[in-house]
Amino acid sequence: MSDQKVKRTGKIRTKLLLYIVPTVVVAVVALSAISLILSKNSLTKSATNELESSIANQADNIESWLDENMEFFATVKYGIETQQPTEDELQLILDSFYGYNSSSPEGLYIGTASGRLYTASDSSYSTSNVTEETFYKQGITRVEMGYGTAYTNSNGEKVISASGILNDGGEEIKVIAADVALNDITVIVNSGVKMDEARSILIDRTNNTILADIDTGRLGSEITTSNSDVLLAGIATAIAERDYSTNTIGDYMVAYEEIDNTDWLLVSYIKTSTILSDVTMLANLLIFVAVIAIVIIIVSIIFIVSKVIAPLSAITENINAMSSGDFTINVKAESDDEIGVMGRKVGEFVASMRKMLASISDESVKLKEQSDNSDEVARRMYDASMSQSEAMKQLNETVDQLAEAVNDIAQNATVLAGVVADTRENSNQAEESMKETVDISQRGREDMEKLSSAMADIQDANNRLVESINKVGDASEEITNIVGIIGEIAEETNLLSLNASIEAARAGEAGKGFAVVATQIGKLAQTSAESAQNITNLINEVHTLIEEAVGQAQNSADSIQQNSERIAVAVETFDKIYDNINTSNKLIEAMITDIQKVDDVATNVAAISEEQAASADEILATSENMVEQADNITKSSQDVADNSHELAGTSDTLTNHVQQFKI
Amino acid sequence: MKTSLKKIIAIALISILMTSLLTGCSSSQSASSDGSIKVLYSICDVDDTFRAALSDGIVAAAKSAGITLDVSYCGSLVDDQAAEIASAKANGYDAIILRLTDPSTALQMEVTSNDLPIIFVNSQPSDEHLKADKYVYVGSQEEEAGQLQAEYVMKKLGNPSSMNVIIFEGEKGHSGTKGRTSAVKNTLKDMGVEVNYVFVDYATWSDTIAAEKLNIFFKTGQPYDAIFCNNDTMALGVCQALKDNGIDPASIPVTGVDATEAGCASIAAGEMSFTVLQDAEGQAAKAVEAVIALTSGKSVSTIDGASDDNKYVWVPFSPVDASNVSQYQ
Repeated sequence: MSDQKVKRTGKIRTKLLLYIVPTVVVAVVALSAISLILSKNSLTKSATNELESSIANQADNIESWLDENMEFFATVKYGIETQQPTEDELQLILDSFYGYNSSSPEGLYIGTASGRLYTASDSSYSTSNVTEETFYKQGITRVEMGYGTAYTNSNGEKVISASGILNDGGEEIKVIAADVALNDITVIVNSGVKMDEARSILIDRTNNTILADIDTGRLGSEITTSNSDVLLAGIATAIAERDYSTNTIGDYMVAYEEIDNTDWLLVSYIKTSTILSDVTMLANLLIFVAVIAIVIIIVSIIFIVSKVIAPLSAITENINAMSSGDFTINVKAESDDEIGVMGRKVGEFVASMRKMLASISDESVKLKEQSDNSDEVARRMYDASMSQSEAMKQLNETVDQLAEAVNDIAQNATVLAGVVADTRENSNQAEESMKETVDISQRGREDMEKLSSAMADIQDANNRLVESINKVGDASEEITNIVGIIGEIAEETNLLSLNASIEAARAGEAGKGFAVVATQIGKLAQTSAESAQNITNLINEVHTLIEEAVGQAQNSADSIQQNSERIAVAVETFDKIYDNINTSNKLIEAMITDIQKVDDVATNVAAISEEQAASADEILATSENMVEQADNITKSSQDVADNSHELAGTSDTLTNHVQQFKI
Repeated sequence: MKTSLKKIIAIALISILMTSLLTGCSSSQSASSDGSIKVLYSICDVDDTFRAALSDGIVAAAKSAGITLDVSYCGSLVDDQAAEIASAKANGYDAIILRLTDPSTALQMEVTSNDLPIIFVNSQPSDEHLKADKYVYVGSQEEEAGQLQAEYVMKKLGNPSSMNVIIFEGEKGHSGTKGRTSAVKNTLKDMGVEVNYVFVDYATWSDTIAAEKLNIFFKTGQPYDAIFCNNDTMALGVCQALKDNGIDPASIPVTGVDATEAGCASIAAGEMSFTVLQDAEGQAAKAVEAVIALTSGKSVSTIDGASDDNKYVWVPFSPVDASNVSQYQ
């Protein structure tokens, strides 16, 4: 029990943790990831902005430095152009600006197409061939002074020259110029970087040479897209494609800025890892904080869940006790939440159950007593009804026997009446038969007499038949004689034909026709003889037959004679029979009269006994009904006894069950 | 529990109300314009033929679109222009069409404009000072003009492997100057020509300066194959100088930009070789379209020629030479 209880409490906590913890973990991880991504984006963006603003600032510095110097040079140039000084005055002007501008310590100098060079007196600058000098070549491409590409001057310094044609109205081309050392630009470039760890280089796009770099060894060198340094190659590519939007080359983020009024490109770069180092740190911090947060949340969830469901285990214990029938428990409910309410309600339930069970127990005891009483009463009632039923059955049997006897009598009387009726009918039939028999025997005798006279007629006819036949015999004998004569004639004819044939043969050729006739006559004679013979034979047969017929007719005459005698005897017998029958008929009529009387008596008896039988049946039916009712009463009283017994048992069981609860 | 539910519902309702209230506020700005847009058009002057054409175009386009447009000629002083911009909002303007006297003052103008949208014309501020659908530039891509010039010259000279080039640039620092010049140089570089720039100098859009400087150049005795000018006026000065020196302008390609009346006449007369038309009317129309879009809270992306970043509306150039000059006169 307690094991089950522990398991159940454990389940709720596990379930809660199973649902809450993953949710919390996912939420924390998602929040961390989102903030990390946002931070990364925003840091990258701010780094980009910082780099771009840094490079813009540098570019402004460079531009303003260039402009400042150019302003100075242009001012001097303008002064010379407007004053149109003599050579001495020009020398004076040049001298006066020598060392004035720290960026260009040598000051301004002027070269002419004719090869003359004017410099400040203190200047160390000199050249043998003015028109071949870089400053001159660059200068003749413009009137307004501009910066040219970097070169190494005669003093071995890497410089750029600001130069332009001196527009003094003279016919000879004069180029005024001033040199600026690349080192100075490098200082400006490097010191202008506003972003930590960022580096800058300045590139002249006219020939892709480096004008300024922290690595002074690279100054003046050309960069190409095939440069071994990935960064420089990437910058060269950007220049070739003229795409100066901030991009990433290798491990660097690179920003570009064009310097106004020159072909220069300022490039600033910073290692991506430097920018993202803060992101990495932030990521580590976030992971650390997330892990700790998750641990703290899980621990507090476990604590809260345990605290919240603690009262549940007490309630569970109480419910377990209740389920095993123990209502003696005392339910404590301290908290004011749903679980507290649950506890209080369980307590109320236990109290009401306890009250209810007590009253049920009392009631069941009372019930048992009452049911025992009724059981006893039912048993007594049953016994009484049993003896009543027995008595009824005996009565019934007696009535049954009586009814049977009456029935037998009625049946016998009926049979007797039937027999008498049958007998009377039979005697009537017999009387009728007798009468018919008398008639028939009378007619028989008349017929016999008619038969006797018919017999006499037959005898006469027979005799006449014999006579006729004998006459036929005589006629046939005469036919036999005639046929004998025909036979003799045929014989003689045959002999004559033979002789004729012989004579014909003697006559030879002339008697040939006659021979044929003679032969034919011979054949005819032979046939006639044969026919006569056949007729004789037939007559003989007829004769024989006639004799047989006469014999037969004689026999018939004899039989008819005998029959006539016998018929006379039969007529006599018929007379005797007729008398006897007449006597019998009279006796039968007397008998029928007697039978009629017997029949009346028997019918009366049958009717009376049938009435008696019907009454007996009614008595029997009534008594059977009574037996049945007595049986029913017995059965009912049996049921009552059973039920009250059962009730007693049920109240026993109820008492037992109620006694199981502890209250 | 019930009370807490009520609280939540109350908070939710309040936030919904607040949101709708704020949204209502933010949209009230465009509602106030009430169909009639009032625009300030600030330009230094209309001395230049192109600027004059542009101004006329803007006035005409605004009129046909039913926009109230006030033109203000501020002169060459940046301070005057800035003061005008600063008071624009107070004077009830919904937007500003601005031809910067000095392109580098764009940021200053934006700050003093009190959040009014600005449509820059003719003088292009640097990209970083433009803002999508707020501070936009309507114009032609200067690079396109330079590119068309370089391509024309290369074709005219029969694609030589090397050439000596003279360039007369406009005002120093002007977007047109920078864009057109660098486009000429870049296009020639891309075409693989070895270019010797024998003379590259500013003539500040002026014919006389161009002529004077060309005369100085002649003194250097250097050879030249083609003359690029950032605008027609300078090209006309160049042609004049050539003639003054007894050189037939038709013998070398002289190219300009803007297709001004005089420029076209020069081409028709066989002096200048080539120019590109910067469509003043087209730019004016697009500038007014941009005003309508921005004051009604829409994006310029709805206008043809808008750049992907919604900072520019580009109006294309058209090449003009002897073959088609008659269409533009």
